Amino acid sequence: MRPIAEQLGQLTRLEELAGQNSPIHRLHPGAKLAATGVYLLCVLSLGRLQFGRLAPYLLYPVVVLSLAEVPLGLVLRRAALALPFCAFAGLSNLLLERQVLLWLGPVPVTVGLASCGVLLLRALLCVSAVLALAAVTPFGQLTGQLRRMRMPSFCVALLEMLYRYLGLLAGQAGSMLTAYRLRGGSGTGLPVGHMGSFIGQLLLRSTARAQRVYQAMECRGGFTGGSAAQKRPFTRNDWLYLAAVCLPCLAARAVDLPLLLGRLFVC
Amino acid sequence: MHMSDALLSPTVGLTMCAVSAGALAVSAARVQRSQLTRQKLPMMAVGGAFVFAAQMINFTIPGTGSSGHIGGGILLATLLGGGPALLALAAVLVVQCLFFADGGLLALGCNIFNMGVLPCLVVYPLVVRPLLCRGLTPRRLSAAALLGAVLGLQLGAFGVVLETQLSGITALPFGTFAALMQPIHLAIGLGEGLVTAGVLCFVARVQPEVLESTQQARPMEKTASVKKIAVLLLCLTAAVAGGLSLFASQNPDGLEWAVQAVAGSTELEAEGAVQEGAAALQEKTALMPDYDYADGEGNGTSTAGVVGSALTFTLAGGVGLALAAAKKRRAKQRAAEQG
Amino acid sequence: MLKLEHLTAAYPDGTKPVQDVSLCVEDGQRVALIGANGAGKTSLILSLVGVLPADGAVTVDGLTLCPENLPALRRKIGVVFQDPDDQLFMPTVLEDVAFGLENQGLPAERARQKAQAALDSLNIGALAGRTPLKLSGGEKRMAALATVLALEPTLLALDEPTAFLDPRARRTLIHCLNGLDTAMLIATHDLAFAAQVCPRAVLLREGRVFADGPCRELLYDPALMEACGVEAIGADG
Repeated sequence: MRPIAEQLGQLTRLEELAGQNSPIHRLHPGAKLAATGVYLLCVLSLGRLQFGRLAPYLLYPVVVLSLAEVPLGLVLRRAALALPFCAFAGLSNLLLERQVLLWLGPVPVTVGLASCGVLLLRALLCVSAVLALAAVTPFGQLTGQLRRMRMPSFCVALLEMLYRYLGLLAGQAGSMLTAYRLRGGSGTGLPVGHMGSFIGQLLLRSTARAQRVYQAMECRGGFTGGSAAQKRPFTRNDWLYLAAVCLPCLAARAVDLPLLLGRLFVC
Repeated sequence: MHMSDALLSPTVGLTMCAVSAGALAVSAARVQRSQLTRQKLPMMAVGGAFVFAAQMINFTIPGTGSSGHIGGGILLATLLGGGPALLALAAVLVVQCLFFADGGLLALGCNIFNMGVLPCLVVYPLVVRPLLCRGLTPRRLSAAALLGAVLGLQLGAFGVVLETQLSGITALPFGTFAALMQPIHLAIGLGEGLVTAGVLCFVARVQPEVLESTQQARPMEKTASVKKIAVLLLCLTAAVAGGLSLFASQNPDGLEWAVQAVAGSTELEAEGAVQEGAAALQEKTALMPDYDYADGEGNGTSTAGVVGSALTFTLAGGVGLALAAAKKRRAKQRAAEQG
Repeated sequence: MLKLEHLTAAYPDGTKPVQDVSLCVEDGQRVALIGANGAGKTSLILSLVGVLPADGAVTVDGLTLCPENLPALRRKIGVVFQDPDDQLFMPTVLEDVAFGLENQGLPAERARQKAQAALDSLNIGALAGRTPLKLSGGEKRMAALATVLALEPTLLALDEPTAFLDPRARRTLIHCLNGLDTAMLIATHDLAFAAQVCPRAVLLREGRVFADGPCRELLYDPALMEACGVEAIGADG
């Protein structure tokens, strides 16, 4: 487990990235959300052995992430988080499925190897796609889009408030942990015996804070349904972006593009 | 236990999204109808943030030297009640998915189901609350926390196994997979249960009114909410079974155990028609991964495929490098202009 | 304009942080509520707006505190909490300032304009799009003040406004409060601050009014301040 400050640093880093002003940042959040959805569905619906056909899908995250100036290290670190379980599933395939799928010259490629490769590549692609969404869309715009999509305002307000207090409480947990360590608590984690009162303290502080937030809200009229959805029509650029992402994705899903490309060179 | 997108087929992912969205909608409607909405909102938001923060605090697992952290589902449910806890946990999962790559976007449905719906709407009302409504003694609190956490994690882990298997992503036989996952999560559940029990006992000792407020409000609406939960569970089961039949049309072997496990074998016939319709739809949309390695591709096409793939990978990499180089050049130019 | 008669507030567990408090605040008058920790300053402020249930009468501009009048009364009294993080809960400062205005029924666009105007009037217009998490302590305090000022209350109730502020942020706050003509009730134990902003002081001890008079006289009286649990200005120097 990484230290709390480092994790919060990542949140801040993504927030800064999302706050930039590039042509992609200016696009409609709905367009970006829809594009991510179509992309994920296309990638995930490809067969579990079609390693080569995933190749065209690398283009989308590569282009968006580099346009949005997201450092490659950040992407890889995130992907690594999702990896252990995928690697476990992939390795089990490697061991269990030993039929030979094809020969790369003298090297046999087994079904297990192909499916393991697909799994790992899929993990990387999916993480990058979601990261690409988060890095070019400020959280406020995403929740605004949820409002426009008729999600109950109560739930959107919950998301926004959660996001607001996330850093605050995590920071509080961090300083409690520091204070604990400074008085001699060592090692990677707390002993189970101390967890009850430690997390209990944090919990009581949190409920007290929630109580005060409630009071402060009541003093200003109370929660009556959150701010109304702000209209934002799709512009020509938004449609263009959506088409530019979705059409190639769907095309690569329908037709084996790498195969066609290969046929140009190998008869 | 966060599932990543890569482990799911679109069918399973979307079905579970629909199921979780249903559970969330019911909970949201119930919370909004209650008189306490205004007071609950900050409590839910801060409660969610608390779970997030608590997940960052590690504890050492005795005797192993390794460390773990709690999930917090049962803890939050005991504090807020099942429905509000589910909403708060779902919000936490959305934020974790977007900003921490913990669990995928399409996998949100699965994750909300495994880590939110199961502990908050199944284990909490059926196991934890009945234990707690007769008084908050340390023994009761500990028993409820341990039992709740272990059951919640067992169900959740089983959900992960089921969803992964249905997606057809791993070659691991169902039995082996489950035999690996369940004991691991038994250990994790015990750890979580111990910590949850510790937290609840601490709170009951220091500030018992925090717990009493949720537990006291229960007896009045008890009968009504149990009925609602039963209906909800039935709907969930039907939806999951519907998703399963979609899958099953392509993989008849998987159907037998899956339907037995989830819907009971008798309901199979009634769903035949739905299943056929779904299969026809599915052929058109082709969202399931197709197992096409056995369809006798000639060696020539394979070579073309390999070459083409290699070229495409190179191309994608090249575009990335070119963009990065262009960016660097522009940054350098900007620096030169400024300097 | 604000009149408290025999106000007694009680928590569910039976403790009574405010006991039989009667006092009046005139239009535009600034009153410092002074007392040690636990003297009942915060509770008094919370009971003014019905957040903390209380017996006795609270009247503002002829409106008495009762459940029907609660929304109108809360519109007249603007409460600024001690910890700005409790008050700022929206994703951006501007949205937070607009929150109360939208609750008054203002259309979203108009609310935003008014919110921006309120921020500009405190010289923090530039913070509008920022998230509260990353503001400095002083900026948070000013933003919290703006969320309340935007509602144009007739009485401002501030709870420990100088807590956690560095000297410069404190000076900015003093300057800004002195520029307002709203009536104020300021709970504080920062006596120098109270002397600079408020002409009148009310001393609280154990939930009761202990003394009431001009700041100039009360705050420099070592015996009185000692009894009240705080140190008179100049006592240690």
